[in-house]
Amino acid sequence: MNTGVVVVAGAGMAAVSLAEALRTGGYPHSITLLGAEPGLPYDRPPLSKDLLRGARDPDDTTLHPQQWYAERGISLRSGRAVTDINADGATARLDDGTSIGGDVLVLATGGIARVLTPRVLTVDSGHPALHTLRTATDARRLRAALTPGVRLVVIGAGLIGAEVTASAVERGATVTLIDPGDLPLARAAGDEAAAKLHQRHAQAGVTVLQAHVEQLQPGTGRTLLVRLARDQVVEADVVLVGVGMLPACGLAEAAGLDVDDGVLVDDQYLTSHPRVYAIGDIARRRGPDGPQPRIEHWDNALRSAHIAAAAIAGIEPPPVRAPWFWSDRYDQHLETVGHPTPDAMLIRRSTADSEYVGLYLVDGRCTSAVTINRPLDARAAQRLIDERVPITAEQAADPSLTLRDVLKEARTVHNGH
Amino acid sequence: MSDTIRVCAFADLSDGQCTLLDAKTAGWTDDIAVFRDGDRVYAINDTCTHEEASLSEGRLEDGVIECPQHQSRFDLQTGKVLAPPATVDTVAHLVDVRDGDVWLSPGTQPA
Repeated sequence: MNTGVVVVAGAGMAAVSLAEALRTGGYPHSITLLGAEPGLPYDRPPLSKDLLRGARDPDDTTLHPQQWYAERGISLRSGRAVTDINADGATARLDDGTSIGGDVLVLATGGIARVLTPRVLTVDSGHPALHTLRTATDARRLRAALTPGVRLVVIGAGLIGAEVTASAVERGATVTLIDPGDLPLARAAGDEAAAKLHQRHAQAGVTVLQAHVEQLQPGTGRTLLVRLARDQVVEADVVLVGVGMLPACGLAEAAGLDVDDGVLVDDQYLTSHPRVYAIGDIARRRGPDGPQPRIEHWDNALRSAHIAAAAIAGIEPPPVRAPWFWSDRYDQHLETVGHPTPDAMLIRRSTADSEYVGLYLVDGRCTSAVTINRPLDARAAQRLIDERVPITAEQAADPSLTLRDVLKEARTVHNGH
Repeated sequence: MSDTIRVCAFADLSDGQCTLLDAKTAGWTDDIAVFRDGDRVYAINDTCTHEEASLSEGRLEDGVIECPQHQSRFDLQTGKVLAPPATVDTVAHLVDVRDGDVWLSPGTQPA
């Protein structure tokens, strides 16, 4: 059991959740968070939503005030990047040359926004019209650029691209959304929900183009020209590239840890080195059939942190819960719980047009659910999955039965035995 | 602060259920959600401190309410936030059962 002074490279959601879970569990040893970004740790989901829309200021997204860290004896060093680690010594070296050593090192360095390849991007990566969105600094810069009437081109219609599009529409920008797929998010949300989500863009006045971006070129003044196939060109005052993220595995790689599109970890988020854990976006769990896909969602930052904290403190891990993510755009609140699998039977529950509830059933159990504007059904489905509540296709489809009813009924029967 | 208001008969609030008092009736800055959990009653500001969502629609368990939107959790007795994404505590109000009725004192902290 490795326990003692904890040094965390990173100060995002995962890092802060780990420190909080350790202290809540009564962990007595020193905890230090090393954040590369300046200022207090903050929550990222609002960056593409409330912060861009102008409904919230960047300071409002901080996870906790300064004194919260002091009260819990969590030492926070912000604005200093970790340049390298020594795994055997559980030591992190900072970019000012100082080192911090401990007994346990936790890597929670998150990721960086993926950028276009040099073949596509023919302008300088620092071009004033070119944006990605990952940090609060990125969000502030993008918000300042989204003035009414500005022509924004969003490349990529995934979660970030779709949310930025919706926020920009609200700010009065003229938006073109470009994605090579005919149905972005279909894999995560299923065809029907994905269609509902994607069609919403056009209804909001967005020009939606299904195309590959061939090249990004300088336009007149500070504008950019987005060149698509068949010589189609879209001129943009602002371009947001939303084509995913890359895990920041550099420290782990340089230290010789096992890395494969993510830092490979076991069920307790321990890396290939017995003193080093990795949590959040960079962690990739080993599975019986090889490494599992990395999970880049907020909920995973929280849960992986809680599991690692339990392992470090030698306490009972939290109960396993089905993975969950949400996305808010326009008047649509998407949630998915669990992973839809190809062998699952999809039951579509009857809802209003603006809503969607799809339940995925395998062998009389719900394994996954996708909802739009039905948060209560998402919560109920989460419990159906976590508690392995039996549910028939008839029950799942029955409009006279709420999912809460199914849950309640199952509990009553269960308790009766 | 404000007067004590009769919310409803205790018998009309079934276990695990919530009744909502609009801000005007409550004389408060937010709607107030009044919950019954077993023999106990609780009252808190209805709007989640994280984003626009009604806690009255949330899931109640052991004196804790979970926001239906993003799963933030609050202690109903103290208003303290127990789970993110919310990071700011909410406001709990004094509420009790007297002579079979539920009475609420908006703005008064529970004992």
